Amino acid sequence: MSKIRYSSAETPICSRASAIDRRAALIGATTGVGALLAGGALLRSGPALAAPPVGQPAPAFSATDTKGVARDLASLKGKVVVLEWTNAECPFVAKHYNSANMQTLQKEATAAGAIWLSVISSAPGEQGYVEASTANALTVSRDAAPTGVILDPSGKIGHAYGAQTTPHMYVIDAQGVLRYVGGIDSIASTQIADVAKAQPLFREAFLAVSQGRSVKNAVTRPYGCSVKYSS
Amino acid sequence: MRRCAKSRLLWIVLMGAIATLAGGARSGEAAESAAHVSPQASVTLISDVDRVAPGQRFRVGLRQKLAPHWHSYWKNPGDAGAAPTLALQLPEGATASEIDWPGPDGIDVGTVRNFGYENEIVLPVTVTAPATIRPGQTFSIVADADWLVCAKLCIPEAGKFRLDFPVAAASLAAGGDVAAAFAATDARQPERRQWTARLTDEGAALALTVEGDDITAAAIKSAFFYPAEWGVVVHAAAQQLAVDAGRLRLALEKGASFNAQGDVSGLLSIADGEGRRRWIEIAPKVEIAPGVGAAKTVSAAKIDGAVAEARSLPLARAALFAFLGGLILNLMPCVFPVLAIKAASIARLSGGALRELRLSGLFYTLGVEVAFVALAGALLVARAGGAAVGWGFQFQSPIFVAAMSWLLLAIGLNLSGVFEVGLGATGAGQNLAEKPGHAGSFFTGLLAVVAATPCTAPFMGAAVGAALSASPLVCLALFAALGLGLAAPYALLGLVPRLARLLPRPGAWMLRLRQALAFPMYASAAWLVWVLAQQAGDIGVLIALAGALLVAFGAWIYGVGQQGSGPRPILRGLVAASALGLAALLPQLGGAAAPRAAATTAAAGAEPFNSARLAALRQAGKPVFVNMTAAWCITCLVNERTTLSTAAVKASFQSHGVVYLKGDWTNQNPEITDFLRSFSHDGVPFYVFYPPGGKDAVLLPSVLTEAAVVDELQGAVVN
Repeated sequence: MSKIRYSSAETPICSRASAIDRRAALIGATTGVGALLAGGALLRSGPALAAPPVGQPAPAFSATDTKGVARDLASLKGKVVVLEWTNAECPFVAKHYNSANMQTLQKEATAAGAIWLSVISSAPGEQGYVEASTANALTVSRDAAPTGVILDPSGKIGHAYGAQTTPHMYVIDAQGVLRYVGGIDSIASTQIADVAKAQPLFREAFLAVSQGRSVKNAVTRPYGCSVKYSS
Repeated sequence: MRRCAKSRLLWIVLMGAIATLAGGARSGEAAESAAHVSPQASVTLISDVDRVAPGQRFRVGLRQKLAPHWHSYWKNPGDAGAAPTLALQLPEGATASEIDWPGPDGIDVGTVRNFGYENEIVLPVTVTAPATIRPGQTFSIVADADWLVCAKLCIPEAGKFRLDFPVAAASLAAGGDVAAAFAATDARQPERRQWTARLTDEGAALALTVEGDDITAAAIKSAFFYPAEWGVVVHAAAQQLAVDAGRLRLALEKGASFNAQGDVSGLLSIADGEGRRRWIEIAPKVEIAPGVGAAKTVSAAKIDGAVAEARSLPLARAALFAFLGGLILNLMPCVFPVLAIKAASIARLSGGALRELRLSGLFYTLGVEVAFVALAGALLVARAGGAAVGWGFQFQSPIFVAAMSWLLLAIGLNLSGVFEVGLGATGAGQNLAEKPGHAGSFFTGLLAVVAATPCTAPFMGAAVGAALSASPLVCLALFAALGLGLAAPYALLGLVPRLARLLPRPGAWMLRLRQALAFPMYASAAWLVWVLAQQAGDIGVLIALAGALLVAFGAWIYGVGQQGSGPRPILRGLVAASALGLAALLPQLGGAAAPRAAATTAAAGAEPFNSARLAALRQAGKPVFVNMTAAWCITCLVNERTTLSTAAVKASFQSHGVVYLKGDWTNQNPEITDFLRSFSHDGVPFYVFYPPGGKDAVLLPSVLTEAAVVDELQGAVVN
């Protein structure tokens, strides 16, 4: 520490004091804020697959679908949004596509002005993972009618929504509030004959939301194969 | 003669074969049908009798032999999958029961938990033969079954099975392999015991309490509740077990569609020390815990009135409380070191241009606002991502604490004059009318926020809790108001510069003041090393002190370089080496484990907080005092030293039989975070008193006094 002798007229102390105000605080505070954000990033995440609560704003997501169209939940405000987690090789999904049940639901929803997004959260190498071209080919070959198909190989959107099975259905109303989470219908089987016998829980919820009514069974049991996230 | 018999025999065999082929179903010996075989599973229909007598009750079962790593499902398959179905076609007059499901296992596939069976299982059904059949007839059962068998992938399978039983006067039990299969399944058959069960709804959690005479800690080493219906509990969540004599408690996470009036029955699987498992049928009664969703506040404390109201405040009032909280935050020990920097800069400007002062104040306020809004944004993003964060969360990371400690040490060394930053040595004659440190003021503001966050001022806790649960826009507005409060004193000085004239003229005292203000910085750095000791043990302290050594060395070298002596490249290299050393030390903290906190809490007469224990104590009607604290929260420590450790309070606890639960939030603890959130309070300190008799919770103010605590305890007993 150097000794400084000075009179009241001289103020070399100023440069020292101003130095701390300028650069020291600058570097130090930047480090502090950086560390603060780093500290936040070091948090372990919470429960692995908790579905977001019904009645709250749905978790935001922003993705590009298989045709290159940007799909951002915030920009879809004003429309009812349906999210369908899917995996073409899962026998439960096949039950609804082979019976044309899913395609009928998709056409009904999109005709009513809703946005239907099929989401594939299978990790690369896992069952159900497809490239964009294959996904588009599947849409055509199955005569499916989603507004868009979103590939989510990192599982980010899947985890945000707590998607556990394929199919797993979500209905978000025009204000961005999540209104239905759960299964497509009430009979958890792979038999096509059960489609006609089951209570169409998803369809009832969708109709209620698009007609501005309250949803009677807002949380139901999703059934299907487990979503093949990366392990 | 022989030729006739032979040809008759041949004829019968031929007809039998044709009949079998025409039947189309898999039929075989009475005890086991033909198998449906796939690479994953070999499935047959078996029965426990070879012959059936009229009116007899016997069992048939779907036997699934599964390949390794493949599993099939229980009646509640868990998070994914589907239960098998078995439909029997019986002759007229015969009846069959539903499947008597054997007790399942929990099978985890990634983050999903399924309930089912591996290796081999039989799903038995009890059949009653009609009394009208006669010996010599054949009693046939055809079964249509479909089942799902999964490993990582799922394969649905279906089959038709047939069993033909010769009817005889007396039945004959099946032996061998089939009997063994039934016996193995019977070992999993759920039992009924004289146990009573209740399920307490505690908001986000459920507490299952089971009482029975034969429940002992020795007999039950682990337990798991398998609900019969989906949505009662979160299947994949861990279930914390606590066993006492005659009672066991499981802490469960409430499921997505829990309905208190719905079916909450299921199987409680218990395992003893040798791994023998049993499944007990339970049908718990549902109770709502008292105080769920409601809390009464201490009427004596005005501050607490604000706490209660803040929960449902209109925006303007919440913003006002946030502003006041920010003001009070200036006095908190966490902020005081940064106050030292502010004071040094005010002292510099006391004789200077008023305009600089005003702009400095503006930039400081701007820095504070940006930091608070960024912090609020980070918390909201983390929450949206599902993380369980609370207020002051950054101090739960030992890496952050160490880095902050080194930062404060570096600033202290600068104040002590060991080194300067940026300008180097300046000659005499430099006057005050130089470019003011606007950027410096801005970043000083950022630094102030970073240091302030762990100290929850009385008004801030409720405002933050309300803010984080409100919409993002409201949250950011409240945090901005908080920032204004924190920046207010310095901003005021900027707005009314005449106040600065009240400060004395520059002189030798400025150097001394600056050096003196270094010491609060050193004190804060030392405090953070103590916090680190709680989080990362002695290794953490070693790393922090080694880093401090590097910081001090680097600072000295840097200062020497600025005085113009010595070869610059070498000095620069040494400083860079010190910085690299620090960067290498930080990740070491990630691996350092927290020391055992149990000893310290036990010494204070406190039990570590555990939500299952809390629920149990409240069920028992005992008074409980909950103290949520953290090593990095100075307000908490002050309260503990001045109030909770005093003889008067300890005596009061003792005489009223109050159980003292202490929750340590120094590191992440999801149970404590959930508890805090259930009261819409997102930081520590937090004090809750549950009066005896399981009454509603009473929140105590964040700044405790002996009198407040003793009076509250007294009042509860009188009531």
